[in-house]
Amino acid sequence: MLLSALGLAGVLGIWLWTASRGGETGLVPTPMETWRALQTQWTDGTLWSDFTASSTRIAYGYVISMAIGIVLGVLIGSMRSVESVFEAPIGLMRYVPATALTPLLLLWFGIDETPKVLLIVIGTVFFNVLMVADVARTVPREQLEAAYTLGAPRRTVLSRVVLRHSLPGIIDVARINLASGWLMLVVAELLAAQDGLAFRIVRAQRFRQVDTMFALLVVFGVIGVASDLGLRKIRDLSSPWARP
Amino acid sequence: MKPVKLQVRDLEKRFPGGRRGGDILALRGIDLHVDAGEFVSLVGTSGCGKSTLLRIVAGLEQPSSGTVRVDGERVLGPGPDRGMVFQGYSLFPWLTVEGNIEFGLHLAGVDRRARGERVAELLAIMGLTDHAKRLPRELSGGMRQRVAIARALAPEPDLLLLDEPFGALDAQTRLAMHEFLRQVWQRTGATIMFVTHDVEEAVYLSQRIYVMHAMPGRIVEELRLSPSLVGGPEIKRTPQFLDLRDELHELLLGAVRAS
Repeated sequence: MLLSALGLAGVLGIWLWTASRGGETGLVPTPMETWRALQTQWTDGTLWSDFTASSTRIAYGYVISMAIGIVLGVLIGSMRSVESVFEAPIGLMRYVPATALTPLLLLWFGIDETPKVLLIVIGTVFFNVLMVADVARTVPREQLEAAYTLGAPRRTVLSRVVLRHSLPGIIDVARINLASGWLMLVVAELLAAQDGLAFRIVRAQRFRQVDTMFALLVVFGVIGVASDLGLRKIRDLSSPWARP
Repeated sequence: MKPVKLQVRDLEKRFPGGRRGGDILALRGIDLHVDAGEFVSLVGTSGCGKSTLLRIVAGLEQPSSGTVRVDGERVLGPGPDRGMVFQGYSLFPWLTVEGNIEFGLHLAGVDRRARGERVAELLAIMGLTDHAKRLPRELSGGMRQRVAIARALAPEPDLLLLDEPFGALDAQTRLAMHEFLRQVWQRTGATIMFVTHDVEEAVYLSQRIYVMHAMPGRIVEELRLSPSLVGGPEIKRTPQFLDLRDELHELLLGAVRAS
């Protein structure tokens, strides 16, 4: 607790120091200026509408990505046949940088919400599938066999043993890859959008509103920390048995 | 004469992966039977295929040839008529003691009331009533294995299969578990097939013992214990018990020398 407070104070100190050195150039705002820019954006309502626009895209994209990740990952992790069909192609596609697909997606789907959501899906789904598969593989064989000898058919073993045992691990996968989801969102909004947090940064750049840009970076940071803590909490509440 | 519960006929098991692309012969010519209510052990050194044999009886593995019948019905896969207890890690960590014991009853569609009664009964037999709401991680190794036995017994299987269930326990707990398993067997009248490499454990608990040798895994001897040898811990100091234990040791040593 004390150490993390110390770390944060350090970051703030460096910020203050750079702001004081580069103050005249107007390229580094002070924390106070940033705070004021944040307030302005909050009161005029743009912060809230940008936030909802961005989080809606994330919500759609990431929920789709996790849904595919859970279904395919659990099947790959527990059934040899599914594993042989999917693992190699997914392993390959993982190495195609999703961001490189952005122009193509814009060409195919226009500039509305579809390509943005799709980019979030494509940018995270392969990692989600493979990482969920790894989680599903860690279910001890004895637990699967115990379920079979108690009369469970395969479907029941998948849903009531593999999925249940994997739940905390799956939530961790969601937590870790969510950062890539935001990365994809930023790319999408930087290139083509009319609202959203990253769009607002580009816009502020055009008007040299460095304080606004900083304010939005802070917002990204806060969202990241909040979702990380929230998912950790959900993981622990859903699976107290898995806590170390 | 009690009816035959389990009948294994001319069973053979081959695994791929032998030298020059051939198969490994894990089990050959296995013939055995277990009568209703009987306590039978499979004893052998590691690698003799005793666990594989038990897993085939459970339906978790398929034999290469030969048959397994329970009450005359051919075994084709795992099922709740054959309860299995593993060496460890088999309890569902997210379920309480109660939840684990109930698992098979849920699957069998037993209604809530009957489930509650059956669980309460098993908790009492297992001495776990005070721990019903605990998670497996909060229990000692011995208690966990008691829960595993209770869970396997819950759907009232025809046959209880135990695969070195006390192998991971310390010596004292293991002795306590012997008394406990003896009681469970006597109170429930279960038919038990018990796999172990521990000679003393086998002689103390069983009515009959199949001795196995490795390469290929086969049954080399069948020992029938006299009923006078079924009793409390004091039995272990009788000359009869000690003789039988030494005989069994010799039989297993023979297997080690031969290999």
